[in-house]
Amino acid sequence: FLQFFCAMDEDEGKVYTWETEYERSWETLQEDAEGHLQTTAEEEAYKAKRRRLFDRPRNVQLGMMRHVFLVLDGSRAMADKDLRPDRLTCAARVIEKFLLEFFDHNPISQLGTIVTRNGRAEKLNELTGNPHVHTKALQSLTSSSGDPSLQNALEMAVRGLRHVPHHASKEVIVVLGSLTSCDPGNIFSTIDDLCQQSVRCSIIGLAAEVHLCKTICQRTNGTYNVILDETHFRDLLLQHCRPPPAKATIEASLIKMGFPQHVMNGPPAVCLCHLSDRSADYITSSGYFCPQCNSKYCELPVECKVCGTRVDMQSVLMTTPTHGCNTHTLTRTHKHKHTNANTGLTLVLAPHLARSHHHLFPLTSYEETQLTDMIVCSGCQVQVERKAYKCPSCDSMFCIDCDLFIHETLHVCPGCASTVKHHH
Amino acid sequence: ICLRDRDCISATRLDIDGLPVLFPYDYVYPEQYAYMLELKRTLDAQGHCVLEMPSGTGKTVSLVSLIVAYMTVHPNKLEKLIYCSRTVQEINKVMEELKRLMEWLERANGHAPPLTGLALSARKNLCVHPEVSREEEGKKLDGQCYKLTASFVRERHQADPSTPVCLFYEEFDSLGRKAASPLPPGVYDLDDLKSYGKQKGWCPYFLARYMLQQANIVVYNYSYLLDPKVAELVSKEFSKKSVVVFDEAHNIDNVCVEAMSVNISRRTLEAAQTGIDTLGRRVREIGEEQLREEYRRLVENLKQARRNRETDVHMASPVLPDDVLQETMPGNIRRAEHFLSFLKRLTEYLKLRLSVQRVVAETPSYFLHHIQQTVCIERKPLRFCTERLQSLLHSLEFIELRDFSSLNLVANFATIVSTYTKGFSLIIEPFDERSSTNYNPVLHLSCNDSTIACKPIFTRFQSVVLTSGTLSPLDMYPKLLAFQPVTLQSFSITLAKPCVCPLVVSRGNDQVAITSRYESRADTAVTRNYGNLLADLSAIVPDGIACFFPSYEYMETTVSSWVEQGIMTRVQRNKLVFIETRDRGEISLALDNYFKACDTGRGAVLLGIARGKVSEGVDFVHQYGRAVIMFGIPYVYTQSRILKARLEYLRDQFQIRENDFLTFDAMRHAAQRYGRLDKRSKLPLWIQEHLKESLCSLTTEEAVQVCKKFLRDMAQPSTKEEQVGVSMLTEEQVETRERLRLSMDFS
Repeated sequence: FLQFFCAMDEDEGKVYTWETEYERSWETLQEDAEGHLQTTAEEEAYKAKRRRLFDRPRNVQLGMMRHVFLVLDGSRAMADKDLRPDRLTCAARVIEKFLLEFFDHNPISQLGTIVTRNGRAEKLNELTGNPHVHTKALQSLTSSSGDPSLQNALEMAVRGLRHVPHHASKEVIVVLGSLTSCDPGNIFSTIDDLCQQSVRCSIIGLAAEVHLCKTICQRTNGTYNVILDETHFRDLLLQHCRPPPAKATIEASLIKMGFPQHVMNGPPAVCLCHLSDRSADYITSSGYFCPQCNSKYCELPVECKVCGTRVDMQSVLMTTPTHGCNTHTLTRTHKHKHTNANTGLTLVLAPHLARSHHHLFPLTSYEETQLTDMIVCSGCQVQVERKAYKCPSCDSMFCIDCDLFIHETLHVCPGCASTVKHHH
Repeated sequence: ICLRDRDCISATRLDIDGLPVLFPYDYVYPEQYAYMLELKRTLDAQGHCVLEMPSGTGKTVSLVSLIVAYMTVHPNKLEKLIYCSRTVQEINKVMEELKRLMEWLERANGHAPPLTGLALSARKNLCVHPEVSREEEGKKLDGQCYKLTASFVRERHQADPSTPVCLFYEEFDSLGRKAASPLPPGVYDLDDLKSYGKQKGWCPYFLARYMLQQANIVVYNYSYLLDPKVAELVSKEFSKKSVVVFDEAHNIDNVCVEAMSVNISRRTLEAAQTGIDTLGRRVREIGEEQLREEYRRLVENLKQARRNRETDVHMASPVLPDDVLQETMPGNIRRAEHFLSFLKRLTEYLKLRLSVQRVVAETPSYFLHHIQQTVCIERKPLRFCTERLQSLLHSLEFIELRDFSSLNLVANFATIVSTYTKGFSLIIEPFDERSSTNYNPVLHLSCNDSTIACKPIFTRFQSVVLTSGTLSPLDMYPKLLAFQPVTLQSFSITLAKPCVCPLVVSRGNDQVAITSRYESRADTAVTRNYGNLLADLSAIVPDGIACFFPSYEYMETTVSSWVEQGIMTRVQRNKLVFIETRDRGEISLALDNYFKACDTGRGAVLLGIARGKVSEGVDFVHQYGRAVIMFGIPYVYTQSRILKARLEYLRDQFQIRENDFLTFDAMRHAAQRYGRLDKRSKLPLWIQEHLKESLCSLTTEEAVQVCKKFLRDMAQPSTKEEQVGVSMLTEEQVETRERLRLSMDFS
């Protein structure tokens, strides 16, 4: 299985030779200490992998409820063909993959998308917990034009994140192909605003390091990276799946959540998510009902829009749902929706929470060990080349690729899982 | 260039050839270590040296920490460090490093070292007088200060208290000078001096000047040492056991030459004429008594009178050999009215000489001969011209010295031309150098010998260190400045990954060779290809790009043809474009906005001149210069007669071939990013090292691809772990390296 996974990885990075950039491939060859030939690109990739292994924060409080705005550059620079077929299409493809992974890792988080072009920012989607909405919107993006405006995009994101409850972590992730930003005003005041709202802004550059981006990321505690190629791009973006450390100022507090059941044949009604669409398609008989106010939703996780307006003093952590739809409450509270929206009830399913579990109890890191003799990786059964990584509990040795895969995707050590533990 | 970032939590103790040095950073770069070794050897030998090390590698901190350590260990061998820098920003940078060093020394030894370090700059940067300091222009501020602190103004104040004086100066004069140590030991940068002055109520400028003699470390501008008249006022009594450091010294010979050259145009002469008339009127007004007083003083001893008046502004004027000062003023210019008529005759004569139709080039001796033949002016009074004018201006109590700057220039000219017969040439050009239709005669008295201004420094001080990022070829400087170096050394930068990517683009995408050679300059194919290169690079290079042209004329024609060809629109789509002009105000405005555009992420292109104001003295660090494009080798305008005269002199006196000098000169102005196969050996080592065969003679497209890759690589973060041991050394690593080196030497 592991071998299959690695093979898949390799396939994706491949392009036809005539499509690659002008290069003098013989120059990238270098001799290592033993006289073996190795390419410098490989060296760079190896270093990146090691960084990923060791940069992992340990024993920190994670902000697992994330509200993220993803900003995509839709400017002229995205038409560049250094990524195939062009930067925009490639970015959309990578982002789609990211979205699926993101919601898988962060089931109780929400994400919105913004695209910036022609000196303006347009919101593609509001914050939602549904990856498919974004995928659809991204596919509609085909043309790129004009200059991007970082300031407009960031301001739009800040506006969108302003009403998010303070215990959630607020983030902006920017995928920027352009090297300039066409801003209407002073961008530094926008950065101040970001800091004040404690919005973390991370940027992935597609071309080169821009000083302004570095400043933004440094000031807002985000990360700034520049891609080497598509594979690296995907790696960098996927790193944002991991919840960031929570702000130090946040005290641990109980968060009220609702666990609605899926009702298959209730009375036909429009769900709250599609209320504004005014389409008959959304009148269904199945859905999730908020355990507190009984409003209907077709997808989870979501923040109940109705409960957001009612401040309930019940200290109930979980409530059982009651059936039936209270339309009266719905119409009455809907008017006040915009006035007080920051104490909404988060509706989730138990499996969602269970999937976030591995963030709370991460697999212990493997120890880096120098190779003394030939070792075969316990994961992919291939001879380990540089350094081996040893599981501290079962002493199995892995190569760097398997280590990454285990810690980022599996979250279970195959060595420990396959050894029978003797309990008395 | 992206350099290693370092955050620092400790200091490193090094052993440099037996000398314990505290280095105020966690790590020392290998080249810094080598640099300090060479420096130590120079100080031991009490000689001079030329050291080249790329900018950004921490030359300053290496210099300062080694010399401070040397001064502490061998106080009898070395008493003073004189650090000469070019700009206020550079001065501040040096002071910052010094402070940091002192802080660590204090932490390491438990007490601060008993050293005083201070910075000196013009009044503009030090004045704390509430009204005067508001003046923005340096010369005007000097004038205003002079109005309040000149000795005759202060005398007048004593008689009539309503005459305004500067309270800060008065306070300093009455209290500060008498105090045993007006400034406690420590390091004072310009701001510290100002706040100390404010707190004490003393004038920081005069306090700093007073303290120069006692301070162990002095940081100031080149001109305080190189400009003979200023040097005489400020740096004359410095101890012989001093080490002089010229930072960014690659242009030092030109600074020396310029300090001694005088240009006189018709406008200068007219202004001088007005000056003489004003003086004449005042002489008639003021009457006999005061002038008789002056006459007496002149006869008595001129030097003594001047020493008492250090506050008086002396405009820059050339050096006077000691014997001139010992001699007495010749009789025929002692009286004011005689001197004025003498000046009148001199100006008329110069006017006559300027009304020529063809170029005249002659030696100072011939000029002296001719002036005697024509208007009966002898050599001796000419030599005293500057002195005499200063004295007259002083006795007539003129407050607005600016009105007489042209007259002063004429007097300077007279003094220089009559003092030096060798190393100077006199050229009168009737037309503008480059546009032969514009009749504007100018008399150039150009100094060809850069040793004149710097000779006293090399003879007076035991060690002189010339250092810069670009001094190659190193052996040129000792020849040009006539000194015997102990060490000539170039250091390269060691990095975990290459941070410089020099490229030579020699063909456009259409395979037309691109060159700035004079004959093919006007070729549209060439300008188009240059434009394409800029446009393509502007799309892939982030933040700021600095471009340099060999000359204004070439830039103007190229830019206008770019506008016609629509290339400018393409560039402007990616970045804002700023162009260097001849106007100082415009340049600083353009630079401000250029920096702003780089900061805000808009990106900008700056089109400048390779020997212009921008390329010298502005640091294009980090985002301000992600790429530098040189359009051709910036050879100096070789048809210039002044240059020809200098070349001839260099060939005769120093055996430096014309071509050698021209290439040398061009290369140092190439903003250090240029190379061509045949000239590669003339580039500094740290560029040569990265200029691989494959990076020379690329086409535009290839260059763009290489750049893209390089920029992506550069943006990858590097961990400290990778750098330690390669480009950063810890204490132990230095020791093991040292042991290794010794054992190799031994074997």
